[in-house]
Amino acid sequence: MSAAALVVTDEVALPIRAVGDLAAAADVSREEVAVITQCAALGGKLPFDDGSVGAVLAVIKNVESLREQLVAEINRVLKAGGRVLVQSPASSSSQKPNTDIERKLLMGGFVEVQASAATSQDTLQSVTVKAKKANWSMGSSFPLKKATRALPKIEINDDSELIDEDSLLTEEDLKKPQLPVVGDCEVSATRKACKNCSCGRAEAEAKVEKLELTAEQINNPQSACGSCNLGDAFRCGTCPYRGLPPFKPGEKVSLAGNFLAADI
Amino acid sequence: MAPSSAEAGSSAAAASASGRLLVLYASQTGNAMDAAERVGREAERGGCPAVDVLSMDSFDPGRLPSERFVVFVVSTTGQGDPPDSMKVFWRYLLRKDLGAQWLEGVHRAVFGLGDSGYQKYNFAAKKLDRRLSHLGAERVVEIGLGDDQHPSGYEGALDPWLLSLWKSLNETNPSLLPRVSDINDPNLSILGNPKVHVIYYSSNEVPRDSIVSEPNKIINNARSMSPALQFHDDGGPPCMLQMVTNQRLTKESSDRDVRHFELEDPSSAISYKVGNTLEILPSQNQSAVDAFIERCNLDPDYYVTIQAKTGDKISKGSLVSSQMDCIKLKTFVALTMDIASASPRRYFFEVMSFFATAEHEKARLQYFSSPEGRDDLYRYNQKEGRTVLEVLEEFPSVQMPFEWLVQLTPPLKKRAFSISSSPLAHPNQIHLTASVVSWLTPFKRTRHGLCSTWLAGLNPSKDNIIPCWIRQGSLPPPRALVPLVLIGPGTGCAPFRAFVEERAAQAATEPTAPILFFFGCRNQDNDFLYKDFWLTHAQDDGVLSSKKGGGLFVAFSRDQPQKVYVQHKIKEQSARVWNLLLSGAAVYIAGSSTKMPADVTDALEVICKERGVKKEDASKWLKDLEKVGRFHIETWS
Repeated sequence: MSAAALVVTDEVALPIRAVGDLAAAADVSREEVAVITQCAALGGKLPFDDGSVGAVLAVIKNVESLREQLVAEINRVLKAGGRVLVQSPASSSSQKPNTDIERKLLMGGFVEVQASAATSQDTLQSVTVKAKKANWSMGSSFPLKKATRALPKIEINDDSELIDEDSLLTEEDLKKPQLPVVGDCEVSATRKACKNCSCGRAEAEAKVEKLELTAEQINNPQSACGSCNLGDAFRCGTCPYRGLPPFKPGEKVSLAGNFLAADI
Repeated sequence: MAPSSAEAGSSAAAASASGRLLVLYASQTGNAMDAAERVGREAERGGCPAVDVLSMDSFDPGRLPSERFVVFVVSTTGQGDPPDSMKVFWRYLLRKDLGAQWLEGVHRAVFGLGDSGYQKYNFAAKKLDRRLSHLGAERVVEIGLGDDQHPSGYEGALDPWLLSLWKSLNETNPSLLPRVSDINDPNLSILGNPKVHVIYYSSNEVPRDSIVSEPNKIINNARSMSPALQFHDDGGPPCMLQMVTNQRLTKESSDRDVRHFELEDPSSAISYKVGNTLEILPSQNQSAVDAFIERCNLDPDYYVTIQAKTGDKISKGSLVSSQMDCIKLKTFVALTMDIASASPRRYFFEVMSFFATAEHEKARLQYFSSPEGRDDLYRYNQKEGRTVLEVLEEFPSVQMPFEWLVQLTPPLKKRAFSISSSPLAHPNQIHLTASVVSWLTPFKRTRHGLCSTWLAGLNPSKDNIIPCWIRQGSLPPPRALVPLVLIGPGTGCAPFRAFVEERAAQAATEPTAPILFFFGCRNQDNDFLYKDFWLTHAQDDGVLSSKKGGGLFVAFSRDQPQKVYVQHKIKEQSARVWNLLLSGAAVYIAGSSTKMPADVTDALEVICKERGVKKEDASKWLKDLEKVGRFHIETWS
């Protein structure tokens, strides 16, 4: 259910004039104003849909009736940016009811809460507090206003101005290049793994298995293939002697680095 | 026009740029260099009167317009970037003020080495080729694209491309290659002649007045004489420094050995500036040099004069001396030929195959020099850090003449270190912070860095001589009133120790701006280099103290379960970094990682984004900072 404007009061009855005032203030015809009396007895909810009421006037005799729940309900049914006016007769005590009302409205999430000078056609003093529902609805967003700092300008000698090198490339260049047709991925000597290999080929290449050297092989090195003793240049990838200097078959192999290490 | 220092020693280069073929290469792992050298050799075979093969970082791009024929051989790295040696050259070519006629009259050809498995296939070469066209250079042949994915690797494309290159060049300029048909003539021996001429003197034949005795002059003579060092001019004789302190900074239990060295000149005052680097010529192991000489059947006591041959003529020797200097053969080998550290190039194996008398050795060497064997050669040679001496010992039947050895053995290179002291704090000393390099190869052999190991082994209480040259580094020293954001994890802290020492000394007499220093290492207990030094300067009124607006922030990556690096610390201090940047701070990044500078730059961009700056704007702003000299990166691997 919706209404162009709503008057809510905890009294039993409401002077027509109040309805007329609100209608005028909300720029709607008097017929469009809904009225709810005895709101204290409402049991909590206003019978309106969320954000369906353009403006609300609350005429409250007892400030206590302006409970948190009622304030929340008024906020709920009001459209975004809709206004609420709370009128209350000034009590005779020195207590300031408008600050109470202001506080309640603020706590209820209203913005631009303002107490206006008490004016009334009646002889009774009344206080009026105006407020507005926030301009945003749930789920909306707007950018935070950042303090944009300007970076200090840097004077550059124009001689050092460079052209944009990326402008040198054509459409053709920017397309993904055609790979030359080669055999499928196998770990072989002629086809290298890519630098950023993700298929495991790079690891396989790095891991070329090396057989371990036994004590016998160190003391009495032999080579059936005839290449192991010649040096790394001739050894195959799995040779156990890989990494060692060349040796004479039968002579113990020197394992220590080479004598070229610095004599510290 | 006087030849630039990068080309000193090559008189042909300055004299007739018009009659020569210039091959410029940008190589990351050595393949582009191999390819470029092959282009050069084939051109020589074809009778080209003058051929020079140079790395791009040895050539002044401003001199391009005076060349007539240039071949570019360019690798592309995995990210689509050009190799490091091309960066400065490429930046120059991108300048807006060059104009569409800048390279008018220059004939060029481009060959790229890349991998079609990557999206940015051969981007460096493609961009270069386009840009050269925009600048007015004429294309001799279409761009050649070498592809690692091809069964023969880049040669698959290089072979046909070279054929078309020579054909085309010969059609337009027959005088450039008078014997072009020789290039691919199967009947001609492929080897040709060495480009080095050696004169031998026995010890009693040597003209007395041409023997030099001062060590620093000997070094200068030897290195000026070496054709392999032709484009690596030292720029004069070295200072001979003495090591007076050799102190280990990392705990004994740490697997990293980082040293603090203090060097002095015993005879005179040293003059240097903060931000300079020290280039050191390491000594080679004496037994290794002896073994090499013996293996090659050389007489160590002979004296030699080395001369470069260009074409068929012998050049007049070095620019340094007009008379013919001679030097002991053993000394020449020890000072200029790297026999026990650097790995030989592919062409070394090819030439070896001509001098192998054992069939199986010859076959193996030919295999290694072929496209099919390139991968196996890489595994055997480069990945294992195989040395010239080791290779010669594994192919004992090879007897390579000394001329070829001089030409093809990798030159002994100087190593550069950032100086970690300030002359204001240590007027007569140069301090270095160096990591002793050692690593395990795939075949489980231990390799050691030649220079760092040698330095670490020097005994300060004995006489030791270290030949060095002081050079301007890539980190210009900041003025006292410039606030600094310094990021230097690990040995990257070396130049910043110098900066802090300098500013602390300046603070005594003049107003200085604050310094924020970000350091990183693995463990507070193990490798917090110069811990006391930093802490001292972070207390009281020190340059790094909060009282003075400074800061010391340390990331210990392995002291807790999650990794904490300098970039995390930078983000933690985003407000301070931001404020300092706004007040005109300069940012310096130094260290040994290749990823770290990118991570730190990202962190700086994040700091800008937090304050409402768009990513592209932040990125551009940092690049602008670089252009005006407020953002510097120095890394080493």
